[in-house]
Formats: sequence, C-alpha cells, structure tokens
Amino acid sequence: MSALLEIEDLNVTFNTRYGAVTALDSVSLHVNAGETLGVVGESGCGKSITALSVMGLIPSPPGRIAGGSIRLNGEELTTASPARMRAIRGAEAAMIFQEPMTSLNPVFTVGAQIAEAIMLHQKVGADQAMRAAVALLDRVGIPSPDARARDYPHQLSGGMRQRVMIAMAVSCRPKMLIADEPTTALDVTVQAQIFDLLNEIQRDFGAAIVLITHDMGAIAEMADRVAVMYAGRVIEGATADDVLDHPQHPYARGLIDCIPNIAKGDAALREIPGVVPPLHLLGAGCAFAARCAHANNRCHTEKPKLAAHGHHPAACHAVQEGRI
Amino acid sequence: MTEPTVPEPYVAESPGREAWRMYSRNRTALFGLGLLFVILAITFYGSFFYAGDAYDIVWAPHEPPMVTPEFPLGTDYLGRDIVTGMLKGGGPTMAVGAAAALITMVIGVSLGALAGFYGGWIDTALMRFTEFFQVLPALLFAMVLVTLFSPSLWTIAFAIGVVSWPQTARLTRAEFMKIKELEYVTAARAIGAKNTRIIWKVILPNAAPPLIVSAALTIGVAILFEAGLSFLGLGDPNVMSWGLMIGANRDQLLDAWWPVTFPGLAIFLTVLAVSLVGDGLNDAFNPKLRER
Amino acid sequence: MSTVLDVRDLTVRFDLPRPSMFAARPQLEAVRAVSFTLEEGRALGLVGESGSGKTTTAMAAIRLTEAAGGQVLFDGDDLLKLSAEQMRLRRRDVGLIFQDPYSSLNPRARVVDIVREPLDLMDIGTMDERMGRVRELFTLVGLREDQLSLFPHQFSGGQRQRISIARALTTNPKLLVCDEPVSALDVAIQAQILNLLARLKQELGLSYLFISHDLGVVRHVCDDVAVMYLGQIVEQAPVATLFDAPRHPYTQALLAAAPSLKRRKSQGYTRAMQIKGDPPSPINPPKGCAFAARCPKSRQICTEQRPTLQKSDNSRVACFFPA
Repeated sequence: MSALLEIEDLNVTFNTRYGAVTALDSVSLHVNAGETLGVVGESGCGKSITALSVMGLIPSPPGRIAGGSIRLNGEELTTASPARMRAIRGAEAAMIFQEPMTSLNPVFTVGAQIAEAIMLHQKVGADQAMRAAVALLDRVGIPSPDARARDYPHQLSGGMRQRVMIAMAVSCRPKMLIADEPTTALDVTVQAQIFDLLNEIQRDFGAAIVLITHDMGAIAEMADRVAVMYAGRVIEGATADDVLDHPQHPYARGLIDCIPNIAKGDAALREIPGVVPPLHLLGAGCAFAARCAHANNRCHTEKPKLAAHGHHPAACHAVQEGRI
Repeated sequence: MTEPTVPEPYVAESPGREAWRMYSRNRTALFGLGLLFVILAITFYGSFFYAGDAYDIVWAPHEPPMVTPEFPLGTDYLGRDIVTGMLKGGGPTMAVGAAAALITMVIGVSLGALAGFYGGWIDTALMRFTEFFQVLPALLFAMVLVTLFSPSLWTIAFAIGVVSWPQTARLTRAEFMKIKELEYVTAARAIGAKNTRIIWKVILPNAAPPLIVSAALTIGVAILFEAGLSFLGLGDPNVMSWGLMIGANRDQLLDAWWPVTFPGLAIFLTVLAVSLVGDGLNDAFNPKLRER
Repeated sequence: MSTVLDVRDLTVRFDLPRPSMFAARPQLEAVRAVSFTLEEGRALGLVGESGSGKTTTAMAAIRLTEAAGGQVLFDGDDLLKLSAEQMRLRRRDVGLIFQDPYSSLNPRARVVDIVREPLDLMDIGTMDERMGRVRELFTLVGLREDQLSLFPHQFSGGQRQRISIARALTTNPKLLVCDEPVSALDVAIQAQILNLLARLKQELGLSYLFISHDLGVVRHVCDDVAVMYLGQIVEQAPVATLFDAPRHPYTQALLAAAPSLKRRKSQGYTRAMQIKGDPPSPINPPKGCAFAARCPKSRQICTEQRPTLQKSDNSRVACFFPA
C-alpha cells in the first residue's frame, strides 16, 4: 500500500511573547489510502497544528512552517502556492472541525453552503449543486433532507450540524478527511452516531481519515493505526492494537491507564503527575522526563528519537535501553 | 486551537499590574498619558508663576500674541491676559469634567447594576426610565437645568452628569447581565454571599475595565460639554474656564483670533489626551491582545 | 447509615419568552417530579445527555435554581421551605464544584481569598484560624503554600479544579455537589482529580451528588447511579448492577455508545445497539414515554402512557418492557 499522505520531519514554530517556540518538532507521519490514522494527545501537544499544517491553514504570522515536507499523493504542499492550496482544500483534502456552529456561516442555509462548496470545485450549475447538496444531506443520515437544506445552522441540533459539516467535507469526494475532535461538543449517543457515520463514509468513499482526539476509547473504535503526540513530537506510532495492548512509551502507558473504564470499577486510577510543560520551557532532553518515573540523566539531556525497539517504534530512552 | 497553549510563568502578577504592563507597551497611550501629565502640571504649577487674577484688566484690549513680552499670548477684548486665563481656567475646566464624569458614573453604574443584576420588572422599569433621559436632546436639557439652577461650576457639572449617565447605565447593565451568568457568581451564591456583596464585590470589579474606559472618555466629553455651555453664555461667570474664555471672546473672533484659539487648542489637547488614555486602557484590558 | 439528602417530587419549570405580547408565558418543564435519596458517605451519580435536566435537578435541590414544587429534606429541614437568610446560613453544609475551572473562580480575587471567603461569609473563627484552615486545605488538595497569593489565571486547569474543591470543603460540608468536575480537563489531569475526590470521600466521609455525562467517570466515583432523560429518572441502581445489567433501553444505548478500549475496529466491532436521532424537546414533551421515539423496543403503549418508576430490590426502572 502506498502512502497517501506523508509528513516528514515537519517543524512548525510560533512567535509568541516568549520568542519563537517550536510547536511541532520533527513530526513524521504517514496515512495510507482508505485507512484511519488516530492522532492522540492532550491539549497543546500539537495534534491540531499538525492537521492545520496539512491543510495550509497555519495562521501566519505568528505561525510558520520552519522545515520538513508534507506530501499528499506525491505533491509537496509546504511549497504549494496559495491558489493551489485552495484548490486542494475541499477537493482533495477536507477538514471537519470540533465546533460545527462556528464553522458554518450563520446567515446562509446549510443547503446553500454545501452547494457553494460543490460549485467551488466542480463546474456545475446552481440547481444541480443544490440537488447534489440534498443528496449529500440524505447520505449523511439527515431526515427529510429537502426541508433541512433550507434550514439555517442555528435551527439544527449539534449532531445535525456535524452531519452537515461531514456532508460538506465529502461533497467533492476528497481522498483525505481530517477530523479534528469532531465529537467533543456532542452527547455520547450522538458521538456514537457520528463515529458510525464516519466509518460508513470511509467504506463507501474509500477516503483516508485522520482522526484527531484526546480519547483513547475513540481510537479503539475508529483507528487502524495510531500516533501518540506529546509536546509537539510523535512519541509512539503503531497499529491501534499494538499501542492499546502494548504501549511502550511511559506517557502512552499512562494515558491508557488513567482512563476510567466503563468495564472496570474501583481500582484507583493511575495518575500522570504534573502537567504538560509550556512549549517555551522545553529543554534539551525528553519533554516527558519531568513527569516520568523512568527518567535518568540521559533523558534530561538528550532528546530520544522515534525508533523501533522490541515491539514497535517509541521515542523513549528507557524503552530503547530495555529499562522498561 | 490555532495557537499552542503557552501557560503563564508562575509569578504573582495582579490584574492591575498586568494591565499596566499591557498599557505601557502602547506608545500612543503612553503619549496620551504624558500629555495629560504635562497639561495638569502646567495648569497646576503655572498658576503659582502667574499669581494675578484672570479677571484683571492689565493691558490694552486685543493685544496680539508675541508682541509684548509680559503677555506672550496677547490679551482679550477687555485687555485681560490670556496666559493667566489659560492657567487659571484649566483647573476649573478639568474639575468640571471630572465631577461630571463622577456623577455620570455614580448614577449610571448604580442603575445599570441594579437593572442588569435583578432583571425582570426592576430591569424593565429602570430601562424605561433610562430611555426617557436618553431621548431628551442632551444639550438643550442641560441648558434648561443650568438656567433653572443658575449657572455655577457645580450646577454645570451636575447638568452634564444628568444628561450623560444613560449610556453608562446601558453599558453597566450589559456587563452585569453577561457576568451574572458566569459560574463564579453562582459559586459566590453557593457559599452564602448576599446579593449586595455579589453586586459590588464580585461582579463590579469584573465589569470595571469597560467602565473605566468609559469614565475616561466621559471626562473628555464633559470638558467639551462645559465648553459648549460656556460658549452659549451659560458658564459660571465667576470662575474662569477655557470655555468661558471662548464664550466671552467669540463675538470678536474675526477681529482677534487668539483669545478664542488658545483656549480652544487647550481643550482640544486635553480631550485628545484623555481619549488616548481611554483607548489605551481599553486595549490594556482587552484579554485578546494579551499574548501578543 | 443515615440519609443525607431526600429529594421528593422535585419539579423545575422555566419561563419561555412570550410568543406575543398578550399571550400567556409558555413554560418548559426541565425537571419533572424527580425523587431520590442520598445516603451518608455514598456517591450518587446523575447521568444523562445535555437537556436531560441533571444539572438543573442538582441546582434546584440546593436552591441555586428555583424549584416549582417538591421537597428537599436535608438534615431534617425542607430546604425549599427555609427563608432566604436561613438558606444562606445552611450553605456552609453544602459544597459545590463546577465544570469549568476557568469560569468558576473570580479572576479578580487571589486564591487565598477565594478559599477563605466561605469562612468570612459565615463568620467562622478569627482571621488567624481562617488562614490556618486555608493552609490546611491547600495541603489537603495538593497545592503549595507559596501559591496562596496568586490569581486564578496563573494556575493550570487541574490546579484550578483543586482550588475549587478546597473552596467547597472550607466549611466542612456534609454534602458535595459535583457538576461535571472533570469533563473540561485532559485525561491525565482527570485521573488526578478523580483520585483526589475518591480520597476525600474516604477520609472526610463526604457524600457526593455527582453529575456527569461520562459513564466511565461515574463508574469510577459513584456507588449508585440515576440515569436521567428529558427531566426524569428512567433508571436507578447500584453502580455494578446498572453497568452489568442495564434494564432501561436508554441505559443500554448509553452504555453501547460510550467509547471503550475493548471495542476495536481491528476486530470488526460494530455497535450492538444504535439509537437514532436527538432527544425530543422539553418544550413539547411527548405524551407517552419520552424515549419512545428513539427506542428500538417501542410499542403502542409506550407512545400513549408514561411509564412510572417501578422499584425492585434496590433498583428502579421506568419502562414497560425492561430487560
């Protein structure tokens, strides 16, 4: 299987009042056609920045891609012209955001917004685009799509709005869908509906999905492969089963152990002490060292590389040295 | 989620100190503050150097500026020294502005706070009352008040305050309605705080930034208002003010430009300084500009 | 074991805007005759989706939202019948923790004042004693004394939630109402706060009324769970019973929808029970069972009559065809 999306050694910096901080540090990822890659981590770990980099949507200034490459279908995106990026967005790669209310325009009907997205990339008339929009609303499971197409975003529930966002995202049959915490704002039964819909869409359209989430449970249900991020770096990457059943990096282990599970009860949750360090205070060593029970001198002075040792790749000296 | 989260370093920085740090980064705002200090210093210390009475006739009328060294800005239509008038008139002008702004804030914040906090019929009643004042033509209404109570510095300040509080009331009400829904207000109630405490100790400090900005801008508006009233001959004739100088000399404007122009310039610079300070405060209190 | 909180037929209505100037003001029934009891030293979870009325129920029970009817027996008194001043003084016995650690602390107050304020308001102890209590609380919830004079924005989300917990505990309450206390936090921080809450419950013998939409969190913290749907309790049971043998179809759907590490895409997992659509609007609640329109087991009687809570053993369920 050839990789649809390849990110290699991507560096992104942001100018803040503490000077330039590294938001992404040598991030390498790949997504194969038709599979789901889960990107998981706590807030501020760089998962959203990674998604925005792919879409060419890093706010600049203050953000800047400082190095590395992003290739979609072999085409380099870091050097693509703004016009070319506009053509790619929507047609070849589309994004679904966390809060559908703020990503939809409140003064146009949802049908008109989907039709607009279609006309932007395809040479079709307004009538035909509107018919396609209604068909898409039907496809994403919105009841009476004819009537709903004439609704404004605020007239729909949160789940319905997210379905509209998905309809808009798949309107031009992109090969690549990036979903940035698509269900965080939704209730759990509605979240289940959206997950099932995304899986269905993937089967029918053959799209690759990058699912950005903080929820390991969502990873289990949705992802084929997983990249765990921490403080702007990918610290572990493998198949979902490998990461969930045999996490290597102490942070990945902690993330899995600290989830209160509906299947088990009482035992005290394992904690990860402390908080994610602010990006401007990252030192030379492993960013997790200060919170890690296995950290030694080397961990505080030298950044571990993402390298396979034993089971699957993890960026951890302790794992690579066989200490855990 | 477009920017990485960069938590603050753990140093005790009070909101006031933080606002000053933000303010001091804004050059135009610092210029405004500097200008205001210069104006205050000149009017305050200047009146010691020019000990004379601004009402004394000291020279021939309509002496142009830069002709006689004792009267660098010339004299007015009665032969009164303009420099003395400017220095003596600055204090009362600014006092009227500050007093009027204070009255505006006291009435506006009290009524707005009650309306916004309690809502319901209290809100409806207070807002109808506010609208009644808002639809009155401000200058005319102020003129009526000043004429009724005979012009003095205090009646003028009072009149300006009475006509300009509705805006402050509306602003305060909007802030209160927004803040009272926040969880820390519920939290205060949950630990047994009374309504008066919640209004004055919890909500008001958090509503303060836009109110402070509005107070600064109100001072500027009030100074202009006082000048307007004086220009129309409704100033306090016994206290020298910049507005009074303009009002007294306006008939001779075509013969002598200077008795009107210099006080006008002083008013312009003062209002400019106060407005720049107000804008600077607005930016300093705006959390969206913090991380830049 | 004694009962801390006994809520009977609690009902909350909200006014809606008038459709026209002279029309009667329509009302929305957010909580409809909810009854439950909370025993000393136990944690009762109120679970449900947005609009289920779980937060409103808890807020009405401690009189932070006005109730339209019912009784709330707390320590022998009906809280709903107390005068405003009596209620204000009783607040020392009830602590409250909020969802959003960013908006629940007054940004203009130093955290030492935030934690001490309940003692000031209730006029308990001398200033020295109050400061001693604040230091004690800071240690108890895992904060450092050198952080006392900082402002809330200088803390991380997890630390703010610790401050919130300290404030709720200041007056030694018997009951702690926790409104989604960890749902705004990252998972690693969630675990810290959940462990802290579990430890405090044990050490101080607290009772929790714990509101959450996250079933994993509820399973971890609570002893009993009440599932709410459209302003009513549809099922209540001890935590193990409810999770292992849910009887109401809505509870079953909630459990099926909750993400779990055990359900793998790689093993071809498909959801066993999927419910369609969104919850109905509380403005126009259906005549029969509120869940009927989404329920896979719905029959004619479900749309015509409203099922009532039926008690069996130590659990209750409101369904004509419970599992």
